[in-house]
Amino acid sequence: MKLLFSKKIIPVIALLVFATAVIIAIKPDSRIDFSSQVKPIFNKKCITCHGGVKQKGGFSLLFRDEALANTKSGKPAIIPGKPAESELIKRIVSTDPDIRMPYKHPPLTDQEIKILKQWIKEGAQWGEHWAYVPVKRELVPDSRKGWIRNDVDQFVYQKFKEEKLSPSGEAERAILLRRVSLDLTGLPPTAAQAQTFLTDNSPKAYENLVDGLLASPGYGERWTSLWLDLARYADTKGYEKDGSRTIWKYRDWLIHAFNTDKPYNNFLMEQLAGDLMPDPDDAKYIATSFHRNTMTNDEGGTDNEEFRTAAVLDRVNTTWGALLGTTFNCVQCHSHPYDPFKHEEYYKFMAFFNNSRDEDSDLEYPLLRQYNKADSLKLNSVVEWLGKNVSLAEGKKYYKFLKTWQPSINTLKCDQFVNGALLDCSAGLRNQGTCRLKNVVLDQKDQLIFRYHTNINGGKWTIYLDSLNGRLLKTIPLVNRENKGSWQIGTADLPSAQGKHSLYFKFYNPSLKSPEETGVMFDWLWFDQKFPGKGKPGFEMASNSFNELMHAPVETIPVMVENNSDQFRATHVFVRGNRSVKGNEVTPDVPHTLNPMPAGAPKNRLGMAMWLTDPANPLVARTLVNRLWEQLFGYGLAETLEDLGSQGIPPTHRELLDHLSWKFMHDFNWSVKKVLKEMVLSATYRQDSKVTEELLKKDPNNKFYARGPRVRLSAEQIRDQGLAVSNVLSSKMYGKSVMPFQPEGIWRSPYSGDLWKISEGEDQFRRAVYTYWKRTAPYPSMITFDGGAREVCITRRIRTNTPLQALTTLNDSTYLVMARYFASRMNELGGGEVNKKIAKGYELMMYKPISEGRLNALKELYDTSFNKYKNDPKGSAQMLGIHDKPDPESASLVMVASAMLNMDEWLNKN
Amino acid sequence: MSERQNQKLSKEAEHAVLQQYTRRHFLKDGAMGFGALALGSLLGGCFGKSSASAHTLFDASNPLASRPPQFPGKAKSVIYIHMAGAPSQLELFSYKPELAKLDGLDCPQSLLEGKKFAFIRGVPKMLGPQAVFRQHGKSGLWLSDNLPHLATVADEIAMLNAVTTDQFNHAPAQLLMHTGSARLGRPSIGAWVTYGMGTENKNLPGFVVLTSGGNNPDAGKSVWGSGFLPSVYQGVQCRSEGDPVLFIKDPSGMDRDLRKASIDAINKVNQEQYAEYKDPEILSRISQYEMAYKMQISVPDVMNINDEPQYIHEMYGTQPGKTSFANNVLLARKLVEKGVRFVQLFDWGWDTHGDSAGNAVDIGLVNKCRKVDRPITALLLDLKQRGLLDETLVIWGQEFGRTPMQENREGKKMPFKGRDHHSAAFNMWMAGGGIKGGVTYGETDEIGYNIVSGKTEAYDIQATILNQLGFDHEKLTFESQGRNFRLTDLSGKVINEIIA
Repeated sequence: MKLLFSKKIIPVIALLVFATAVIIAIKPDSRIDFSSQVKPIFNKKCITCHGGVKQKGGFSLLFRDEALANTKSGKPAIIPGKPAESELIKRIVSTDPDIRMPYKHPPLTDQEIKILKQWIKEGAQWGEHWAYVPVKRELVPDSRKGWIRNDVDQFVYQKFKEEKLSPSGEAERAILLRRVSLDLTGLPPTAAQAQTFLTDNSPKAYENLVDGLLASPGYGERWTSLWLDLARYADTKGYEKDGSRTIWKYRDWLIHAFNTDKPYNNFLMEQLAGDLMPDPDDAKYIATSFHRNTMTNDEGGTDNEEFRTAAVLDRVNTTWGALLGTTFNCVQCHSHPYDPFKHEEYYKFMAFFNNSRDEDSDLEYPLLRQYNKADSLKLNSVVEWLGKNVSLAEGKKYYKFLKTWQPSINTLKCDQFVNGALLDCSAGLRNQGTCRLKNVVLDQKDQLIFRYHTNINGGKWTIYLDSLNGRLLKTIPLVNRENKGSWQIGTADLPSAQGKHSLYFKFYNPSLKSPEETGVMFDWLWFDQKFPGKGKPGFEMASNSFNELMHAPVETIPVMVENNSDQFRATHVFVRGNRSVKGNEVTPDVPHTLNPMPAGAPKNRLGMAMWLTDPANPLVARTLVNRLWEQLFGYGLAETLEDLGSQGIPPTHRELLDHLSWKFMHDFNWSVKKVLKEMVLSATYRQDSKVTEELLKKDPNNKFYARGPRVRLSAEQIRDQGLAVSNVLSSKMYGKSVMPFQPEGIWRSPYSGDLWKISEGEDQFRRAVYTYWKRTAPYPSMITFDGGAREVCITRRIRTNTPLQALTTLNDSTYLVMARYFASRMNELGGGEVNKKIAKGYELMMYKPISEGRLNALKELYDTSFNKYKNDPKGSAQMLGIHDKPDPESASLVMVASAMLNMDEWLNKN
Repeated sequence: MSERQNQKLSKEAEHAVLQQYTRRHFLKDGAMGFGALALGSLLGGCFGKSSASAHTLFDASNPLASRPPQFPGKAKSVIYIHMAGAPSQLELFSYKPELAKLDGLDCPQSLLEGKKFAFIRGVPKMLGPQAVFRQHGKSGLWLSDNLPHLATVADEIAMLNAVTTDQFNHAPAQLLMHTGSARLGRPSIGAWVTYGMGTENKNLPGFVVLTSGGNNPDAGKSVWGSGFLPSVYQGVQCRSEGDPVLFIKDPSGMDRDLRKASIDAINKVNQEQYAEYKDPEILSRISQYEMAYKMQISVPDVMNINDEPQYIHEMYGTQPGKTSFANNVLLARKLVEKGVRFVQLFDWGWDTHGDSAGNAVDIGLVNKCRKVDRPITALLLDLKQRGLLDETLVIWGQEFGRTPMQENREGKKMPFKGRDHHSAAFNMWMAGGGIKGGVTYGETDEIGYNIVSGKTEAYDIQATILNQLGFDHEKLTFESQGRNFRLTDLSGKVINEIIA
C-alpha cells in the first residue's frame, strides 16, 4: 500500500503538545458528539501537526472541507461512513512506528480510536463549538426546592444533583451586606446603607439594598476599574519613552456610562465607532478613545508606520480578547490552530481598523478639541450658518475640522529631507532646507490651512509641484505672530491645480544665524476650498468665527477619526504575520464561521460594531456575562475569560451562561445593572462561604457554587475600602488622574522629565480608579495586588497571595496614614475604654460585633504597644506622624488599627 | 514517584516543619499559644495528602518548606545571569576567522532565503568579528579580548557553542528561555525550582531577582513569574537602592518587637477566621505574614554589602550604595551562601544593533563587557574559595545571538557597527554545580550562522539545570487545566556531555 505520508514529509520534530489521555465514554445509544468527544482528541493529539499552523502531509483537521479533501497522497484521509477504508484510522491503529500516528508520540487509547471509528462511521460530521453557536433561550430546569430564589439557582441546583452537592445556608446579613456592597460599588456600605439594611426585616430588604448600591455613583467607578484593564487604559503612551498622555476623559466617560447603565450594545458601539455615528457629539468621540489607548512609540528613529500597524493589530486583538473572548491574535501569523478562523480573516477584520487617521504621531493626532462654552456656541452658530447658507454637508465638514483638525495631512509623511529632518513627527527645515510630501490631491483646492512653528520672522516657504524644479505653486511668508514663538495656524490661497502630486517644499530665511538652526516646523496641512458662502448675509461673521475658533483655547483627547477617500489605506495579508511581506489585498469582513454582517451594515468600523452588537453574535454577550460572573464569584462560568474557544476551559454551567446571556440581550435589553442584579439576588450568591472538609475535597475551587464566593479583593477595592473606613476617602468624581503617595525611585524615565508629583489635599485620597497609571512603572501597590502594566489588554487578573502584599498593607505610607485616621475614628466613636474602641473599629469594618478571641488578640497588641510607647514619647509621636506630641494611647490605637487593616477577613470578601 | 519516596518526602517535610516551628522565635511566646495551634492545623493539612503524587508538592499551609529533590543533585543553588538584549557571540565566545574574510561583502542570498529578521531588510553586508580572539587555559577555550578576566577561569567553564531558539524578538525569546514557552502564562524556571525544593532559608525568599542596566528585561516581570504555579513561587525582586524590597521598612516609631506583636495579633485574628471558615487561603495568608516579618530582618541584612572586606570589593569591582551589575553579582553570592535556591540576574543593555555608539559591537559592547567581566570572574573565584562552586550552578544566558551580517535597518546603512537578532545559533555557558570545566559542546558553521552539531535548545538547558539540582525534568510536573505541565513541555534532554 502506498503510504499516505511519506517519511520524508514528516520532519523529525513532530510537536505534539498534549499528552494526557482523555477518556470519554461512548454512550451506546447515542451518536458521537463532535464538539465534546472528537474535537478534544483532535486538539490534544492531532491538530498541532494537522491544523491551522501546520498541515503535514497536506492534511488538516480544522474544517470539514479540509479534512475530507485529498491529502498530498492524492487521496482523502477520511472517507465518511467507511472507517476501515479511512487512512486516518489505518494510521492511528498501525503498529509500524514509522506509520503510526501521532508520529513519535504515544498512540491513541483504545477508547479514542473507538470514538473516531464510530464518528467516521456515522458520517464524520463536524459540530460547532458551543461558543460559536448563537445564544438561544435555554429551558430553565424546574426544581421546586425551597432554596431556589431565581433561575440562576435552578441551573446551579441542577449541577448540585449531578455532583452530589447541597447548597450552604445564607450568609449572615453583615457578611452579605459587605460582600454585595464591595462587589457592586467597590466600597464598603455607608453607615446609612448598613443601618437601613440591618434593621429592615422585610423580605425586600436585600433587594432594596442592591437597588441602592446599583444606583450609587460608586457603582460606575467600580466597574470602570475593570474596564480600564480591558481597554489597556494608561496615562502614558508606553514603549521606552512612555511620555504622558491626556486621555482621562475616556475614563470619565466610562464612569458616566456605567452609572447611567448605558445599554451594553450602545456602550460598545460608541467605543468602537462613535465617530462614525450620525452627528457625533463630544461624548461619542471620547468613547472612541477606547481604541486610542494603544501605545505610541516616540523613540527617535522608529518607523511610524510600523508602530501605527502595531496599534491597529492591538485594536484587533483587544476587540477579540476583551469583547469576544477569543484568542484571535493566533490568527495573525497562521490560521487558528484550534478554532475555525482562517489566516486571511484576521486581515479582513483588521481592515475595519486600518483606515483611522492616527499615524503614531507623537502629538497623538487626531485629537478631539473641546472648546469652552462661549466658543462652543460660536461653533454651533458657524455650523448653523453654513447649513442654512451653503449646505448641511459643508456645516458637517467644518464642524469636523474645527473639532478634530481632520482630514488634514500630518507632516510626518514628509520625506527626502535636505537641510532638514523629521523632528519627532514635525517636518523641520533649516535655511534652504527642502523636503517632499507625496500624493496630495489638489483638485479644486484653492486654500491651504497649516499649523507651523517659527521663532523668527522673515521666513518664506515655497511649494513646487512634482520636483524642486517644477511649477511653483505658491510662496508663503511665515510670520512669528506677536513674536510668541509658539504653534500657530497659517492660511494661504492656492492657484488652481489638478490631480495628485508630490509637493516639494523649500524654506528660506537668510536671517537665521546658523546653518544648523531649524527655521520652521510644520505640523499638519489641510488643502481645501476657501470658507464658503461669500456674499451671503452673515458671511463675514461666520468666516471670522471660523478663524477665531482655529486659534481658540481647547482641551484635547486622542480619538478615532476615519480617513477620507484621498487618504484610503489598502489592507494586505501579512504573510506569516510579517508586516514586510504583504500578501493579497483584502477588504473588511467578519469571519465566515460567525454571524454575517447585519443587513445594511456598512463595511467599515460602524458596520463591524453593528455586527459585534447584533444579538446573533454568539460571543459578545457570553463574554461579558462570564466576566461579570467572575467578578462576583471569583471564577468565570468558563474559567478562561479570554478564551471561550475550544482550547479554553469549557464552562461548568454552559446552560446558565447561555441563559443569562440570552436574558441580558433580550429581556434586560443589554442592561448590565439588571444582569448583575439577577446574579446577586440569587440564592447561589447569597450563600455562606464557610468551607467544610467535605466541600473542600469535592470542590476545592468552588466551581459548583455549593458555598458563597470567598476571594481576595482587588487592588482597587483594598485601597478604597481602607480609605473609606478611615473616613478620608474623597467623594470627588472625575477629572485629571491623581498622584497619591508613592515611594521615591519608582519612575525610571530616562528620556523624559516627567515626575511623580504628589497630589495635594483630598486628591491624596481619591478612589484608586483615579490614580495616574504609568505603563513602565505602574503604581506599586496596584501591581503587588495583581494589577498589570496595561501595555496590552488584560483579559483576566490572576489572584496571588504573597509576602510583598503583606508588606504593602503593613508598611506602605498610604496604609499607615489610613491606620492613623482609622484609629482617631475608633477613638472618637468608641467611647472611653480601649476594648470599646477596638470593638467599634471592628464594627465599622465588618458590621458585626467582634468575637472575644479577636478582641483579646487586638487588646493584647494595644497593651504591648502602650507599654512600649509610654516610655518612648518620640516613638509614639512618630507613629502618629506628629513630631512634638507624644501620645502613647493614640499611638497604640494606631498599631491596632494597622493590624486590623491587615485582617484576612478585611482583605477578602467573605 | 514511588510510595517509598513519598514516605521519605513526607518524613523530611514533617521534620522540616517541626524544625521551623521550634525556630520560629517570634511565635515562641507561650502566652500566645498560637504556635501550637497553627502547628496542629499545619500537620493535619500537610500529611493528609501523603499519598498524593509529585504535583501536590504544594501545600498551602507551608509552601516553602525545604524539600529534598527527586535524587541527590550536585547543585544546591543556581545563579542564572541573563544578559538581556542578547550580546554578540561573535565578539565574545564564537571564534570565526572565516567571517573576517567576508567582512563588507554582500550576504549570499542562500543565507537570506526564507529567513526573517527583526530589522535586517534587503541584502545586508557581512560583518567580520570586531574583537581579537585567543585561546585560554589548559582547555584552549577561545575567548575574545573583551573578556580578559573570564579568560583566567576558562577551565571552569563549559561552553555551549550551538544554542538555538525559534524566537527572534526579545520578550518571547526571554520567555522561552525562562518559562519553556514563548507566550505569557507559564512558570519560570526559578519558580519551578522553588516549587520543587522549597527554600533552605525560611527567612529569605527562595527565588530572588536582581536587575541592572537601567531597565527590567523586555518580557517584564513574567520572566520570573509563577504562571499557573501558586504565586508564592514567583521571584521576589530586590533593589539595591532605597528599600531593598518595597515597603520592607517598618514605619518610624515602630520597633521590631512591636512589629512582631502586630503580626502575632494579625495572625491570631486570622487563625480565628480560619477556624470559622476553613478556607486554606487563610493559612496561606498567615504564612505570608510570617514570611514578611522574616524578610524584614533578613533581606536588608543580606542586601547590605558594606561589611564585605575590601579585597572582595576589589575582586568584584563593587561600590556599596550604587546600583550595578557588580553589586548584584556579589549579592547573588551572599544570597546563595544564605540558602537562597535560585538567584536570577538580568542585566539590560546588550541589544547591539549599531543604531548608536552605545549599541555598537565595537564600542557599547566593549563597555558592557568591562562592567560584567570582572564581577562574573570574581563570582566563580569567590564561590570556589568558599567551597561553594561545586554546589552552585552559574549560568551565562541570553535570549538569542546576533547575526554575522551587519544590521541594515530599513535597508539603510547604520551609523555604527551592529548586528541584528539571530535565533539560529549562539552561545551560553555554565560553570560549577557539577558541570565539567574546560569543555565545549556543539559546533556552528564557519561564520556562526547555523548549527553543525550539538544543537542545544532552551529545553535542554532547562533539563540540565533541573538535573543538576536533582530533578528529572520529565517528572517535575504540576497539574493545571486538566493536564500535567512541566518546564520543558514535551522536549528537553540533559546535556550529559558537559556534566562532570
